[in-house]
Amino acid sequence: MTEHVELEPERQQEILSLEAKLDTANLFEVLGVPAGAGVDEVRAAFRELSLKFHPDRFFGKKLGSFKPKLDRIFRKLVEANQTLTDDTKRAAYLAANPFVRAAVRQAGNTVGPAAQAPKSAEDEQRDAERRARLARHPYLMKAGKVQEEVGRAKAAVAKGEFSQAFTFLNQALAIDPTHVEAKALMVEVRRKNEIARGESDLKRAQEALERGDDTAALAAFKSASNVDPKNFTAAFKAASMMERRGVDPKEVSPLAQRAVDVDPKSVEARLLLARVLEAGGMKQLAKRHLEEAAKLDPNHPEVKKSGKRLWPF
Amino acid sequence: MAEREPVIGIDLGTTNSVVATVQAGTPVVIKNRAGSNLTPSVVALAKSGKLLVGSIAKRQAITNPNDTVYAAKRLIGRKFSSQQAQDAIAALPYTVVPGEHDDLRVKLGDRHYALPEISALVLRELKADAEQFFGRPVKKAVITVPAYFNDGQRQATKDAGKIAGLEVLRIVNEPTAAALAYGFGKAVSGKIAVFDLGGGTFDVSVLEVGNGVFDVIATGGDTFLGGEDFDNRIIEWLCFDFAKEHGIDLRKDRMALQRLKDGAEKAKIELSTAKETQVNLPFISTPQGPGGAALHLQKILTREKLEELCGDLVQRTVKICDQVLGEAKVRQTDLKEMILVGGMTRMPKVVEAVKQYFRRDPCKGVHPDEVVALGAAVQAEALTGEASNVLLLDVTPQSLGVAIAGGYVRRLIPKNTTVPTSVTEVFNTSRDSQTTVKIMVLQGESEIAHQNELLGEFILTGLREARRGEVEVDVTFDINSEGIVSVSAKDRETGQQQSIQVTASGGLTEDELKHILDEQADLLLEAKSSEEIKARKAELLQLVADVKAVLPKVAKSTQGTDFGTQVVAKANQALDAAQRAAEGENLAAVVSNVDALSKTLNLLNGVVQRMGG
Repeated sequence: MTEHVELEPERQQEILSLEAKLDTANLFEVLGVPAGAGVDEVRAAFRELSLKFHPDRFFGKKLGSFKPKLDRIFRKLVEANQTLTDDTKRAAYLAANPFVRAAVRQAGNTVGPAAQAPKSAEDEQRDAERRARLARHPYLMKAGKVQEEVGRAKAAVAKGEFSQAFTFLNQALAIDPTHVEAKALMVEVRRKNEIARGESDLKRAQEALERGDDTAALAAFKSASNVDPKNFTAAFKAASMMERRGVDPKEVSPLAQRAVDVDPKSVEARLLLARVLEAGGMKQLAKRHLEEAAKLDPNHPEVKKSGKRLWPF
Repeated sequence: MAEREPVIGIDLGTTNSVVATVQAGTPVVIKNRAGSNLTPSVVALAKSGKLLVGSIAKRQAITNPNDTVYAAKRLIGRKFSSQQAQDAIAALPYTVVPGEHDDLRVKLGDRHYALPEISALVLRELKADAEQFFGRPVKKAVITVPAYFNDGQRQATKDAGKIAGLEVLRIVNEPTAAALAYGFGKAVSGKIAVFDLGGGTFDVSVLEVGNGVFDVIATGGDTFLGGEDFDNRIIEWLCFDFAKEHGIDLRKDRMALQRLKDGAEKAKIELSTAKETQVNLPFISTPQGPGGAALHLQKILTREKLEELCGDLVQRTVKICDQVLGEAKVRQTDLKEMILVGGMTRMPKVVEAVKQYFRRDPCKGVHPDEVVALGAAVQAEALTGEASNVLLLDVTPQSLGVAIAGGYVRRLIPKNTTVPTSVTEVFNTSRDSQTTVKIMVLQGESEIAHQNELLGEFILTGLREARRGEVEVDVTFDINSEGIVSVSAKDRETGQQQSIQVTASGGLTEDELKHILDEQADLLLEAKSSEEIKARKAELLQLVADVKAVLPKVAKSTQGTDFGTQVVAKANQALDAAQRAAEGENLAAVVSNVDALSKTLNLLNGVVQRMGG
């Protein structure tokens, strides 16, 4: 039995098919735009669909069972438009829906809605002219030079050539010592450099271990921990190897301490530090770290054992 | 085919009203039977006992101030006890008394009229004008209201239409209507701003127009800022000097107040073209007692003085413009056009301020008094006509939410959301063994519950007795295309449901609302950041999957080493904890596990890299 409604068959079909996919489609799909589409594209699609599905387009018409379907469709369109055109809501939506986020990333679009519509050739040309004119200004020539160096530094960082990046940044800062971006980049390059060197040291250490050359491995672990004090493995490995070799606890404890600082939640690092401190005669401190370890993992066999041992002070 | 039933658009203004229709594709104003485009929104009870409406009522106002009602729009849909209503009443010469439900009633002769009844008299007059024009009955109309009217005020306006025998197809926002009239039949596309300073209210809206779609991006305003306030400034100035000289407060005398009002409005209008004008009110007061000679009021008012008296009012409009542009994320230079609406935009100072702020000349060629009614007619036509190319995407002017524990508001529908729309959010009980929740529906922008307007309330009972936060209630807000708000609450476990359609209300005083809220503090819900927990859980599950993927590699490559067994054991532990947290609803647990697991993942990835996979 067909229902009598005042809708063209074509429109009925559109309503049925869109309504059917509302529950499974993501918000981009609801609006029929590519994943990651920018604000302008989203808005334009929303308007176009509104012309088809806004309840006012069917004002006073007999809609029968299509009425609730249309209501649902338009509300979903509003939700999609509202969510995807607001920075915060869009970010929250993508965070809550990893599959959509993945689709957006795959589409090569920015996750944020900041993606702007491509500029027209005319605008582009005008912008270029404006930039060139500005660059000729004596005051701005300096700024331009700095920017150039910073740009080179960025490219070097991207390629992993940190020492080159250092050179460029030093030049930039020589022209303008207050340049905020250059200073920030400098800090970043230093840190990245540390990590990279730390990583290569670690690799060396691992290779040495595999060769069975414990001495070289230890040296490499120590070196890795020195260049990158925030690397947990370097500090922890160095400290535990030194402990095993019976090195003076006073020398071991700074490294063990470093491992604990980097990862305060690591039971193993706590226990190591506690052992080293105890061996060095600092029982109070050792006890404190044992207690911490016990808090982190009360069932750890060593915790239980040591707890008993240290208990009657 | 029979001729289509006529439809009209009505601008029901604070001081004047206009009716219009679309004829042969062009919106036109329908003149009233006195031959004028504007009908004063004034109702009076003549000494003869006859009800007068429009210019005839306005003409006799001076001799009959007690029984002449004007500016009813300032009172419609408000509560008697509200501060705003009290302020308005203080400046009105007619008598306003409280009704049964804290609503307002106007005393005309022996009868008390509800505000919708007064407005209905004006609407009926306009309907009669339209029927004269068409030569047959007119039933369907679109009526405009200030964009910043709240739900109660809209409902009351709709009621007025019903009382007048009209089927109100839609309540449309005035600035939106103005934009419709401006853009109708033109191939405009781009963003436009509408600045609407009328007799009693101020609105500003930003719209994007294109392809026949009028998409409201943001709207804002002040329902107590308009020509009447400018008049009041002049009246104050006149009275102040008069009181200093003669020791008499003219505002206490109703007859004098009505004459002052008239004189002030006239002076203000004249100063839009002239540089100075004289306010001349002879025999304005006759002191009591023997030998008291009649006093006259005669003063020169310059345009400069007027601008000084009203400078802050003009500044307020600019501030609101700035706010709305900010909400629309639009700069002045992005605007294609700016439209001035309302009689007050004839004031040179207003035009100057607007030009300076928007950095452009306002659009010429729209009639500030008529454009709103024309737009209402366009919308009426768009709704009822076949194959119309106009679609209006209007928004909610104010945010909607519910009161939550602690006296705060949880917003479900933020302002400037396109309607129709609906939103559902999950709430939790806020007390142990709470079996009843009260849903208080609030409209407004304040985070503090009692500073908003209470639209309505209802109770959901029969919840399971449980610890605080364990029982979940779905609260759904829905606004249909008529702008009517309905709210429902559903117990997730039992499926039991309660709902209301919000009907005319509004206007409790802050204190009252606070009092009510305090009393019911125990019954409120606690907001739950369900979105956040959902997002965090997704993140955690992703991490779990990633760790599971990398763990076998680590186990294989570190096989036999102490380090390896330790890492694998630790990772498995972290995985267990994470999976437990992902099954629960505790946000803190989820978050801390996300942190812990991402550390684990970093560690594992580091190991894989160093071991060369």
